[in-house]
Formats: sequence, structure tokens, C-alpha cells
Amino acid sequence: MTARRRDPRAERAARVVPTGGPRLRLALTASDSAAPASGRPRRDPRARRADATVQTAPRLRLDWSGKALAAPATTSAAAVSPAVAGRGVRAVAEPVLRVIDAPACLVFAVLDRADGALSALDRQVMAAARLLADALDGAVVALAPDGPEDWGPEDWGALGADRVLPMPAAWAQEHAPEARAAAVGAAMARWSPVHVVFPESQDGGDVARRVAAVVGERLFAGVESLSAQCVARRAGGGSRELSCAPPRLLSIAADAVAPLGPLRHEARPLDPVAVACAPRLGAARRLPVDPDGVGLGEADFILSAGNGVTDWAAFADLGRALGATRAGSRVVCDAGHLPRDRQVGASGMVVSARSYLAFGIAGAPQHLQGIGGVGHVIAINTDLHAAMIKRADLAIIADAQAVMPALIRLMRERTHG
Amino acid sequence: MVDVAVLLSVGRHPVSGRARRAPTDARALELALSLPPGRRTALHAGSPDSPALRDYLGMGLAELTVLAMAEGRDPTDALLARLRALSPAPSILLTGNRAEGGEDSGMLPYSLAHALGWAIVPDVVALTLNDDGSAELVQALARGQRRALRVAMPFVVTIHPAAPAPRPSAFGPARRGRITVEAVDAPEDTALAACAVRPWRDRPKRLTVGAPGGGSGGALDRLRAATEAKAGQGRLLVGPTPDEAARAIYDCLQEQGMLPR
Repeated sequence: MTARRRDPRAERAARVVPTGGPRLRLALTASDSAAPASGRPRRDPRARRADATVQTAPRLRLDWSGKALAAPATTSAAAVSPAVAGRGVRAVAEPVLRVIDAPACLVFAVLDRADGALSALDRQVMAAARLLADALDGAVVALAPDGPEDWGPEDWGALGADRVLPMPAAWAQEHAPEARAAAVGAAMARWSPVHVVFPESQDGGDVARRVAAVVGERLFAGVESLSAQCVARRAGGGSRELSCAPPRLLSIAADAVAPLGPLRHEARPLDPVAVACAPRLGAARRLPVDPDGVGLGEADFILSAGNGVTDWAAFADLGRALGATRAGSRVVCDAGHLPRDRQVGASGMVVSARSYLAFGIAGAPQHLQGIGGVGHVIAINTDLHAAMIKRADLAIIADAQAVMPALIRLMRERTHG
Repeated sequence: MVDVAVLLSVGRHPVSGRARRAPTDARALELALSLPPGRRTALHAGSPDSPALRDYLGMGLAELTVLAMAEGRDPTDALLARLRALSPAPSILLTGNRAEGGEDSGMLPYSLAHALGWAIVPDVVALTLNDDGSAELVQALARGQRRALRVAMPFVVTIHPAAPAPRPSAFGPARRGRITVEAVDAPEDTALAACAVRPWRDRPKRLTVGAPGGGSGGALDRLRAATEAKAGQGRLLVGPTPDEAARAIYDCLQEQGMLPR
């Protein structure tokens, strides 16, 4: 943002006090009347200091971190104006419930909810639909498989949905692209939304294209940048960018739109539409895959070994018993215990598994970089002060050689018994 | 004996920009060539002069039919008419899941499947035919997972990049293969022409750290996320017996859904 340009002549003219006499009189305090040009709230250093004052006797104590202020401020969060609050504090208030009773139009957000969970891409799709709807004074309708029992309207509302059109909960688990597409098509015929936003995930993109083929409209697939006026996608083998005004059907690529902050919307349920669909794809089932054949970058569950592992036969058995992809630290790959493409860390692979089980890894900074995107870390190490123990969600101070056979035994008991 | 039609397009090398076999279309042809012998019809809609078309012939294809049309035309109707004119009608239509160099929306197989009234299965990596006129397909999913499906013929299949790699193109067959050109009258793609086109520029990666409900927090949050190691929840067991440790790990993995309950 550039600073507003000052106009000294106009400022001087504003300070002129009309006296009628021969001499020009200027008001000295006239600068107060001119509002700050930037529109930013003015900071009051005295109020900040008063806020930061923890005690005055016997010694003055100030806390500039904002923690002292935050504690009493919770009782009157709404009353404290953010303009006078200290620098370190943001007034965190519960978002106000937003009800859109008579929307000008509807925007559909078709979510995947694979396995009943909302993915990051699903949240981004909601954000994209919210953006398009707000520009048109419209309401967002979330079309997704109904969740488990504890998933209620509040959860939909927190996502930014004004209306919810639940689909059968069973579709979250099973592969039903034809039925999903038929349901979306029927809902489009009934409510005629202005935009329908899909996720460009594998199954979401499949449903989007099925809907586009049935409706006979163009799908703007894989939107990489989105605003209310213009959408852009990558085409021409990645060499060109196509952009146009937001079309009716569009699918959002991963990480193209920032997810929404805390929100409260109404999430009023709409009556479900009847769907008649004779699926032609049948007998869908997941095939068992060899976990070691999966690339480290896309593995979901990684069993990793470091310098503290000496029993490699037990490590291999454990990988097989758990069905986890095996990996190792740099030391282990240097020593030749695992191939180079199984190395996790700055000089190996940066992994994004949901679960990372580390045996005998101390946690060098380079290794911790490699597991930056991991969801859950379980670490087994003999050193209580290792960096890996700090990073782990479950840390166990024990010898890897003792724990691995015990875990294999437990796995066999549980799977056979 | 199964009749197969393959749709082939011309790809674009991501670095040099030269015309090449489209990777997934080449895999579709590889899959078609590995099926039991039957009639194979290969179709291309576009310019008949592209050197990449000979690369497809070099994989062992005897003949390639090119529906000649200028760039920016909509090939759907021309391809549909050509597929309907094939006699006997093919039972399987194979193609890559995404073209390279055009609109690249992946819509064409869906439009064709809908117009023909056939089933469509996307992102396939393997195909086996049953005796009863159905086929077992294997779909590639994210994170290296695979899903098996059964579908009755006829159907449209799009091929995923994880399918077996295509055989290399040989010079002799590439020279011997025939390219039949049919000039067709294709309508202009108005929706594509209405879009503004400019060279692609990579956008900065969106950082989503800091704020509790997503979105980026302050600069300090982003600096922390970039420089500090993440700290876990910090459950700590010091010196448990191996069996206790194993049970704790097992329960934790089960909580995260990594092990069956």
C-alpha cells in the first residue's frame, strides 16, 4: 500500500481561522481535525502502557507480551475496542451468526468428504464458494454426504455453509460417482445455482466432469486463481493461462484458495432431492498395495529407522506387520541398510505422511525438516533429551531392539486372536 | 476378440515445448496393444502434419486416422460421428486422462461417453477382460492406493500416468505406418475463444500457518513455522517395559486410524 500524498496547501487552508481582520490567523491545533488518512486505528501509547502494567507497587512491572492483558480481557472481549488494545493482542471474539434469509442466488459447493472426513481441499472449496456467493449476495449450499451422528448443523455452519443439502452418508465410504453426479444434477435442475464449485481431487474431479457432461455445460477445471471477477487455470501443457469471468461449473485445484477463518453460518437443511440412478460401475474395492512400492513422498504411514536400530531383520518384519512404508535417516542410508530413495530429510525426501513411527532417531535439524509436514510422530529413543522426543506426539524412552519384537508380537496377537 | 478404439493427441514437452507423444495417450495405446488381438482403431483430431503422430505408429500401430481440423476447433462432434460410423462398433474406447497442449480439461472422454451412452472409468492403470463381456479395471488413487472395479462393455477408459510405461517408438514401424487424413468440418470452440490467454507464470505458494481457523497469521507466525521445529503433544513414557511400550504405540496408531480396530 502506498502512503496518501499530502497536500500542504489544502492543510494550510483548513487551518485558516476567519477573523475578518487584516492579519491571517492559523489555528495551531487544526491538524487534529484532519482524520488520519490511512484509516488505521491510532495507537495510544499511554493506554498501551496502562494495559501492560501488571503492578505498580512495590516496583513497577510491565508485561508487553499481551498475556497479562488477555486474561482479564476475556470477560469483556466485546467491550474492549481493538483500537486501544495493545499491540500483542488481537481481539478474538466469537464470530456472529450470519443468516441469509432471502439470497439473491445460490452457489453450490460439492464436497468430497472421502471416508467421512473433510479434507483441506474441501475447506478451500467452501472458501471459494463463499467468495463467489458474497460477491452476488447469494447463499452457499454445501452438497456432501451426511456425516456421523455427532456432525451437526453447527459444524456445517462453521465451514461457511448457509444451506446444506445432505446426501446419503453411505456415499462417503463407498465409490459412487454416478449417484453423486446424478444427485448434483437433480439439485441443479431444482435450484438452478449460479455457480457450482467442485474440488479438483481425483474423485471430485470425476464427479465434476460427469455433471458437466450430463448438464451439457463447460467445466472450468482446476482453477488456480479465483476472484469474484476472474478465474484462471493452467492449460496448454502447463504453458498457458486461460482466464475468464467465473463460469457456472468450476473446479478448484488444491491450495489455490485460502481456507476461511472462524465463521458461523446458519446451515439450514434443504429437502433432499430424489435420485434415480442405475450405477454401471460395480464391485468397487480397495486393493492391497505393497507399502514399500509406494514412493516416500506419497506414503501415508512411514516406519523409520535411525542409528539406534541394529536389528534390521526385526525392522523389516515390523514394517510388514504394520503395513508401513520403510524409511531411514541419512546415517542409515549412508551405511547401506536402506536404499538411498528411502532417506527422509533435507538431503532425501520431504515426507507428508499422516503417521511417522521413528525408531532410534535422535532428530537432527535436517531430519526434522524432512518430517515438517507429518501429522503424527511416535518416537522411540534411548536419549531423553533428543530433539525427536520434543517433536513427538508420543515419545518412548526405550531401546528400539527391545520394543520392535514386542510390537511384532502384539500385532500378531491382535490380528490372529 | 475385442474391438478397441484409441484416441491419441499430441503432447508438449514441458521444458523444450516440442511436440511429443502425450504421456497418458501413449500409455493408453500401450494398454490397447497389450489386449488380446482384435481390431484397433486409432484416431487423432488435429493437424495431420505433427511429427509426434509417427511416434505413435512406431509403437506398432499399423494405421492412424487423422480428422484434420485447425487449432481451436471443438473435436467432440467429429470424433463422435467417426466413432459411430465404425462398424462393428468398438467395445472399449481408450484415451489418456488429460491432454497436453490444448484446453487440458479432461472433459472430452466424458462428453463422448455421455453422448455414446457408455460407462466411463477414469484414471485406470490395468485392464483385464472377462469372458462374460465385462472387464476388471484397476484405478490409481492418491498415495499409491489402487481400487478395483467391474464394468460391462462397452465403456470408455481414461489412463492414469501411473499405468505401465509405453514402449519406445521404433523407426521402421514409424515409417511403414499409414496416416489416413480425413478433412472434417469442426465448429469453432467459442467458450475457449472467449477466454483470455497469456503465458503461465508460477504464483507464490500460499502459506497457511498461524491463525487457528486457517488463513495466515502474522509475520511472526510464518517466521516461526519456517524456522522452528514443530512441537508435538508430548506424551512421554520413560523406561517402560517393551510390552507396555508396544501397547502404547499400538493404541496410538489405532487412534490415528492406521491400524484396524
